[in-house]
Amino acid sequence: MIDLDEHVDLERGVMSRKVFVDDDIYRLELERIFSRSWLFLAHESQLPKSGSFVSTYMGEDPVIVVRRSDGSIGAVLNSCRHRGMKVCRADVGTTRAFRCSYHGWTYGLDGDLVSVPNMAEGYRNELDMSRWGLLRVPRVESYKGLIFGTWDAEAQPVEEALGDITFLLDTFLDRRPGGTEVIGGVQKWVMGGNWKLAAEQFASDMYHSFLLHASAWQALAPEGADLSEMVFPSVGSQMTSQGSGGGWFHDPTGAGSAVLGPVLAADFTDPAVWERLGEVKAGGPIGCHATVFPNFSFLGAFRVLRVWHPRGPHEMEVWSWTLVDKDQSPEIKDAWRRFASMTFGPTGTFEQDDGEIWTDLQRVSRGHIAQTVDLNYQMGIGHEVTDHPDYPGRINHVYSDNAARGFYERWLELMKTPLRPGQRGNATARAGQEVTR
Amino acid sequence: MNTIPHAAMDPALQLEVEQFLYAEAELLDARGFREWLGLLTEDVRYWMPTRANRSIREYALEVAGPGEMAHYDDDLGSLTTRVRRIESNQAWSEDPPSRTRRFVTNVRIKPDGSELAVRSSLLVYQHRLEREVNVFAAGRQDVLRRTHDGLRIASRKVLLDQTVVLANNISVFF
Ligand code: FES
Ligand SMILES: [Fe+2]
Repeated sequence: MIDLDEHVDLERGVMSRKVFVDDDIYRLELERIFSRSWLFLAHESQLPKSGSFVSTYMGEDPVIVVRRSDGSIGAVLNSCRHRGMKVCRADVGTTRAFRCSYHGWTYGLDGDLVSVPNMAEGYRNELDMSRWGLLRVPRVESYKGLIFGTWDAEAQPVEEALGDITFLLDTFLDRRPGGTEVIGGVQKWVMGGNWKLAAEQFASDMYHSFLLHASAWQALAPEGADLSEMVFPSVGSQMTSQGSGGGWFHDPTGAGSAVLGPVLAADFTDPAVWERLGEVKAGGPIGCHATVFPNFSFLGAFRVLRVWHPRGPHEMEVWSWTLVDKDQSPEIKDAWRRFASMTFGPTGTFEQDDGEIWTDLQRVSRGHIAQTVDLNYQMGIGHEVTDHPDYPGRINHVYSDNAARGFYERWLELMKTPLRPGQRGNATARAGQEVTR
Repeated sequence: MNTIPHAAMDPALQLEVEQFLYAEAELLDARGFREWLGLLTEDVRYWMPTRANRSIREYALEVAGPGEMAHYDDDLGSLTTRVRRIESNQAWSEDPPSRTRRFVTNVRIKPDGSELAVRSSLLVYQHRLEREVNVFAAGRQDVLRRTHDGLRIASRKVLLDQTVVLANNISVFF
């Protein structure tokens, strides 16, 4: 077994890029991170009525998220209990049942096996159908419109598990009384980098924003603006708690608003929103970048949310949506939609350059010698504050590696802790599990 | 036996439109982005909707609608912003620049008043850095307008034939 402490030393703030390339570490992540953390599945607005479904992934496991007949939301492993074929091959849609295309076993919206061809002749009616339903994700819970799921039946409730990061999530999800909805459709694309590169960056890396993305800031600045005068903001904070984290400037109307343009800037800093969220949240956190551990991220000022699906150590698949306030006018919603694809997503003037970095960085990390050279996660080390008057969690300057260290502290803790015996996904103690429901 | 509509084209018009699209492709391959903007009308809509896998029953919904997520949903102003970004010399997704080769085929024209509804197939081969290769196949639905400067693109809908975009990013125009 690989000794993780050899590769990650968060007290000194150094790490080996082995964690981005190693196959054993990746397999262990699927077991110890992805099969017990609360993972983002979908937004409630994607499932408008009974029978609505979306296909997604928990780690590398395909799942179907469904609005059931009683209106509740459930999730099942998208794999037939007969020979394992996917029972749903559409990304999104509405259905009454999931019929496997291989031999026709058919499952209801709640995952129960409802029909088996040739039951009498083939199975002599001896198959106990109640034991062969689709594997249910045992816990599916929502937080302000976001649906999360976990394979850990004994996990704490999602709101508790999210913990301090709800402080930032609320600036994104609770700006107006009506809550939020996602714009229809999703951008999906692949990047040739490890999923942690993106999750870590969205948690902790405001530092790259004005340098890597200089071209976007310049291009989006109002016509005629004197770019040589552009001063990068330098006052801001960053938080980390239980692996999640995010950062923000204390003046959210600064650099960000210039590129939003007058219409979106007015919506972003609407006094009614300011009042609802209160001085502390509206005065900075509202414009945050953030990651909810392990692989769900969002950007307050760009109204963007996304998942970084792991696809082997060397690749991630990004799914990105635009979130708008339900109460907002159709014109403003549409303006956010267009701004989001102008800035983020595969064609985004910002995000094009992130894709570039992660791919090249990943390739370098394959080098044997490169893996022996530590990476630096030391920014701001030793200057954390844990009793900040306004902000929860462990706080540091917006330019720091505080939240990256926090992300890897949690990562390390989970990676070193085996799943409980009998817990679904425990690869070393499978005998303890009930295999057939 | 059925026949599909394939009215005999006016050869001069066919040639004119094809030459226009070839010239446009050549311009983009040569990184003449600023000049390319000149081929668009002031009121251009440049749109590449996302797509999703749908069951055959719901196939009509496969392409995202006008108010849904798109990869490009641009007007002349936002396209100009994108070009300005590339010209900043700090746009790392195009520095070092990509090599691109565009192939335009299956050009079909339907005159519509003073405008032309033009469909074409496009293949963009892109190679950058050491081994980044992207191949984008797309159908295009253009509206070309006659102006006194010649043909101009008044609208373009690009149907990229991928649901998950198999690329790090899309730094090319279609
Ligand atoms: S694999 Fe699904 S019915 Fe056989
Ligand atoms: Fe970035």
